[in-house]
Amino acid sequence: MGPTLDIPLHVKYIQSLGENKDDLVYHLTAHLRMNAVYWGLVALCVMGHKDALDRDEMIEYVMSCWDDDVGAFGAHPDHDAHLLSTLCAIQILTIQDALERVDTARVAKYILSLQQPSGVFAGDSFGEVDTRFLCCAVLALSLIGHLHELDVEKTVGYIRRCRNFDGGFGAQEGAESHAAQVFVCVAALAVLDRLDELDEDMLGWWLAERQLPNGGLNGRPEKLEDVCYSFWVLSALSIMNKIPWINDEKLTQFILSAQDLEHGGIADRPGDQPDVFHTNFGVAGLSLLGYPGLEDLDPVYCMPASVIEAKGLRKGWKALPRRASA
Amino acid sequence: MSDLLADDSEWADVVPIRQYENVNPVAPIFYTEEYKDATDYFRAVVKSGETSPRVLKLTEKIIRMNPAHYTAWQHRYKTLVALKSDLEEELRLMDDLAKQFMKTYQVWHHRRLLLTAINSVDAAVLELEFLRDVLDVDTKNYHTWSYRQWILAHFNNETRLWARERAYLEDLLEADVRNNSAWHHRFFVVYASGIRLGDEDREQVRRRELSFAKEKIALAPNNPSAWNYLRGVLEFTKTPFVELASFVEPYTAVQPPSASEEVVDLDNPLPTESAQLPCVAALEFMADAYEKQGGDATAKAVEIWKSLANERDVMRKKYWEYRIRDAL
Repeated sequence: MGPTLDIPLHVKYIQSLGENKDDLVYHLTAHLRMNAVYWGLVALCVMGHKDALDRDEMIEYVMSCWDDDVGAFGAHPDHDAHLLSTLCAIQILTIQDALERVDTARVAKYILSLQQPSGVFAGDSFGEVDTRFLCCAVLALSLIGHLHELDVEKTVGYIRRCRNFDGGFGAQEGAESHAAQVFVCVAALAVLDRLDELDEDMLGWWLAERQLPNGGLNGRPEKLEDVCYSFWVLSALSIMNKIPWINDEKLTQFILSAQDLEHGGIADRPGDQPDVFHTNFGVAGLSLLGYPGLEDLDPVYCMPASVIEAKGLRKGWKALPRRASA
Repeated sequence: MSDLLADDSEWADVVPIRQYENVNPVAPIFYTEEYKDATDYFRAVVKSGETSPRVLKLTEKIIRMNPAHYTAWQHRYKTLVALKSDLEEELRLMDDLAKQFMKTYQVWHHRRLLLTAINSVDAAVLELEFLRDVLDVDTKNYHTWSYRQWILAHFNNETRLWARERAYLEDLLEADVRNNSAWHHRFFVVYASGIRLGDEDREQVRRRELSFAKEKIALAPNNPSAWNYLRGVLEFTKTPFVELASFVEPYTAVQPPSASEEVVDLDNPLPTESAQLPCVAALEFMADAYEKQGGDATAKAVEIWKSLANERDVMRKKYWEYRIRDAL
């Protein structure tokens, strides 16, 4: 009988993230600040403590990251706009029911402008391309109600070309299969109603093979387990309705053992330093595994299921049923 | 001696823009003095659009402190172009940074932009050499491999770029036969990026690749990458799985063959005495081969799946039970 999820402790951990921190780490992660707020918020929602962070303050912070030159959001005030932070901003405002603050038509224009001739998306004007950005674009457009403006064939065509001999997907055409890239491709296909592009049996098996004897999941063969794959792998499986292919008991134990039961938060693996990224994905994974006392999470959007359902965006994914007790 | 630009006469003409000029911050960040100073001046030059040699020095300072500062990279590249700088010199300057921060996307994207602008196979050759040094440090670095694939595909030069890849991969797999990135790259080079010079005889290539995979499986049977590669080649070349049955079967036994047994069959290398058997991947393979055959063979597949579900691969019990249901 291992540890249980210490919700109050993790809530306090997330609340403390905005306070006085070790200077170096905090300022070097400014480019992730918007993402960090999103991870914190989703984790809180899943743990049933959405109000642990002040809603108005959060909305003002998000709006202070608006880059009026291009019509999108940066990661931090006066940082250039980027697709990653734009998606996170939209997700946060959607959860906080404040999307009306945004000029969504302008944002849609920005997003669409980042699509390359090949069908992939760049993250910003610097030009780095990755299937992650393709997924950000698709999720964001769907949340702001502009998905119909997307060239679906072109977008799906690029994903198709990223499919490898092992059934998995990489970051670009030709790149190695990686669980996080599998998730972004599968999630994008789910939103576009093009799951027919997948060989679900082969991919499902490749994903199930990520589970190691210690119960944790890795991202590619012969690499280490990491709590964040509890989300990337699990959500892809749930979209394909194959979560049972993972040993849920052992994975649950693994995630719980990665908690920092002294200071709060969840780490990438037991014994390491926690951070808000792994805290979010650990809790998200537990929700999909049916862990008791948690709210339902939509694996396609990594947002509260109730929010996505209310917007009429729910797809046919299946999580494990919520258990009554641990 | 101060490192701050605020104390540097060279920057006396610039008014730094402090963070949060007109904003009341909700999530304030606490900077070290030097980083704060550098980014204050950086904000000023971005606003004024300055692209001068001192901006190169400044952006270098920032990215060395914080390689994830993507705006600094962006502005640096713009400045290099505006100054018509020697881009190959820039590559050399950024080499140690790439090695230090190889997990940061920006480092690789910058090099990609430089290579694209330089646009020479000579530079690509040098870059592939440099990447070998980087991969020496982290043989599975995802961005490095992805960048390597881009260089090969973009310049697409058979004799000077593609030609040495397979030999390089064989060295890497000698050192670590479980390097999934190397296995993936081999498939990329041989099958997923056009036909290599010298590989025009596709049947010869098929035999060569199957032979390679078998040899590596014999070396270390419980290696998912080698089995995935084998399967990948079979699927791609439309080779029936059953063709490999005589090779795979010995790996499904509970014990390796004793040294005296068997004539040495070079086409079907046997498991060594130290092999951990039965090899789960071999069992899975045989089950798939039987299932593909269909008819009476299906029952044999079900037997194997039952043993996997109940004994050999219990972690994935529900997956094996699904395979049984699906076949019946």
